[in-house]
Amino acid sequence: MLSKKPLAKLIAVLVLFAVVLSACAPATPPPTQAPTTAPAAEEPAKPTATTAPTATSAPKPTATTAPTATAKPVSNPPTTAEEVDSITFSKKTLVIYWHNRPQKDQDMLQSMLDEFNKTNPYGITATAEIAGASYNDVYNKINASIQAGVPPSMAVAYQNQAALYRTQDAVIDLTPFIKSKKYGLSEEDLKDYFPTFLASDANPQFKGETLGFPTQRSMEVMYYNADWLKQLGYDAPPTDWKTFEEIACKAAQTSGKAGWAFKHDASNFASQIFSRGGRILAEDGASYAFNSQAGVDTLTFIQSMFANKCAVEVPVSERNGEQNRFAKGDVLFTFGSSSGLPFYQAAVAAGGKFKWDIAMLPNTGKPAVNLYGASVSVFKTTPEQELASWLVIKFLGEKAQTVKWASATGYMPVRQSAKDEVIANFKKDAKWGPVADSYAKLFDWTQYAMVESPVAGYDPVRALIDTDLMSKVVTDPKADVKALLEAAAKKADAILKENAPK
Amino acid sequence: MNNPRAQLPARLDVGRILIYAVLILGALISVIPFLYMLLTSLKTYGSVVVDNFWPWPPFGTEAFQWSNYPLAIETIGMDKNWHIPLFFRYLMNSVIMSGVIVVGTVVTSILAAYTFAYIDIPGKNFFFILVLATLMIPNDLTLVPKVVMVYNFKWYNTYQALTLPFLVSVFGIFLMRQFFMQIPRDLYDAARIDGASHLRYLASVVVPISQPAVMTVALLNFIWSLDNFRWPLLVTRDENMRVLAVGLQQFWVGDGSTQTQLLMAFASMIVVPVLIFYFFTQKNFTEGIAKTGIKG
Repeated sequence: MLSKKPLAKLIAVLVLFAVVLSACAPATPPPTQAPTTAPAAEEPAKPTATTAPTATSAPKPTATTAPTATAKPVSNPPTTAEEVDSITFSKKTLVIYWHNRPQKDQDMLQSMLDEFNKTNPYGITATAEIAGASYNDVYNKINASIQAGVPPSMAVAYQNQAALYRTQDAVIDLTPFIKSKKYGLSEEDLKDYFPTFLASDANPQFKGETLGFPTQRSMEVMYYNADWLKQLGYDAPPTDWKTFEEIACKAAQTSGKAGWAFKHDASNFASQIFSRGGRILAEDGASYAFNSQAGVDTLTFIQSMFANKCAVEVPVSERNGEQNRFAKGDVLFTFGSSSGLPFYQAAVAAGGKFKWDIAMLPNTGKPAVNLYGASVSVFKTTPEQELASWLVIKFLGEKAQTVKWASATGYMPVRQSAKDEVIANFKKDAKWGPVADSYAKLFDWTQYAMVESPVAGYDPVRALIDTDLMSKVVTDPKADVKALLEAAAKKADAILKENAPK
Repeated sequence: MNNPRAQLPARLDVGRILIYAVLILGALISVIPFLYMLLTSLKTYGSVVVDNFWPWPPFGTEAFQWSNYPLAIETIGMDKNWHIPLFFRYLMNSVIMSGVIVVGTVVTSILAAYTFAYIDIPGKNFFFILVLATLMIPNDLTLVPKVVMVYNFKWYNTYQALTLPFLVSVFGIFLMRQFFMQIPRDLYDAARIDGASHLRYLASVVVPISQPAVMTVALLNFIWSLDNFRWPLLVTRDENMRVLAVGLQQFWVGDGSTQTQLLMAFASMIVVPVLIFYFFTQKNFTEGIAKTGIKG
């Protein structure tokens, strides 16, 4: 047996080793770090060029016929619309829907699902559960449940998270369900959805598979202090970056405050790249494309704004920092999610009490907005349960439900026919009334929507963009932006390759 | 002859002043976040937005917003089954979880530590090193297997999931063992001569002497379990099973997202159980093991 002294030393070394090893343990890769103002702002979806959506009359809720018995075997998951058509419900099916909304939204969601439970002819019972307070929490919980072999039936997920689940063969392609004659969406229904919303869930890493379905969207907008703008001699917000810089710097120089409060993150970077005609991810999804001229111009612009002291950096740790500084009247411009509208309203009403509004970010000739939004993904279980989940998603996307959801949460409805009703509801609402007109503008901008990167492994790339690009140009006026972009793009491509489906 | 140094009180030399300065600075750094939390919890939303550090007299005209506390509780919502504010349900769940974990870790630590300290069994030292070696395993590595076990045992969304995986604390075993080994062997010999069994000796002599160590293990595990967020988030589902940490986060991204003053009120209320527990155990920290009971 060891004598006491060497044993004590050995124990001390082991404990020290354990402490050092625990401290050096790699951190769990952070899930989506979407920018947040007030309610969670979301990550944007895949960029697509779209034409303006044509107005359609409200489609009637899709009629469903009672299922007929059939014994045809169906692959799991179904790969064709015909296979989906052949699915029948032989017993009662329970659908569990994980989300991250607060309790009052949970209550409203469950009341909608209760209506579905009462009216569907298939014996489907749907239950919504709060799986966490953020998309990160839901993501962590889902990963654990996938490992445990008990994922929920469906859950909220950003497109890149859905792609990660797909690499584990844990989520399914919804295309056959959408196209199903019996259970899918009619042509009229499909036209009623905002085209850019639907397109955002087609994943280039998986040959265009639809790994989620939208239930809400928001976008990154520019908040501006209209009173201050007028004092500076401008009647309208800037529509190009040169004028933006001119106004922001004039505001900073004449007041000693900052023209622009900048909480840098990857979504902010993406918004600016889009507005300069660039992309984050190449169209084929095979490589990252933010090291284009648009990327160079974006970083050069940010660098210049900080070098000339026209902008102020808002630390990530400063909760609602850009909103509060704006509300105080300390900054002229901020960029943030459209879902923050009523919170900006409340903050300005409590703070500076000035006239303000939102506008699209400036651009270089072609308008673009960064479209945020997690969708709902269906997990691979059984064909019946997958179909049941799809039917729940389809129900939630119907006009009545999307109106209710958008009116309660402040996100955009997914159907064009819902627009007028949602705006009317906002005008009647105490919280949303003052900003209803600003909210209404969003619908005109959906045609310019672009999305960031719906591929697996985008979360570490977001972190990379923030630490290797944004943080550097904010603090170093002499940083070589081209070199930074090339290096970051190279790292990002390596991450893309590492996370690509095998 | 005037000697400036002689005019200072004898104890206030430069070295002591420096020490006090460092200690005061350290204390301020520790206390300021709590002060910020408390002060913010008493402000109006307007004062929070404009970042008014002191909106109350004599520099301002606002009153202390004590109503933020009941308002925060009201904003959190009501338990639909019990018809009480959810905050109290969260508090109850946290107290139950922490209480069971504290009792469990104290009991298992005492028993295990006593074995390692007093009972000679073959391979004792090897087993002790093995126990300590589990400290090397990062928590993240065992998280998923533990969640899988919870699902398999059908403990999901139950108190068992919140408590049973944490009834043993390796750190507690280590601490208690080290403390037990400091107890003079004479006491053990005397007890054995008097015919006391191990259990009798443990209960009548060792545990009473080891109050400081027991309270340390209890307090550390209480604080840790109360702060624990990720595990309760993963293994609970219903709002009436949430603990304070999860409830706070729910509040943070929900209705309290921009109402920082309400968020701070909620956070301040969470600190209260810890303070109460600390006040009851503080005395034992400062007691040494002077009570050896050996005479002559």
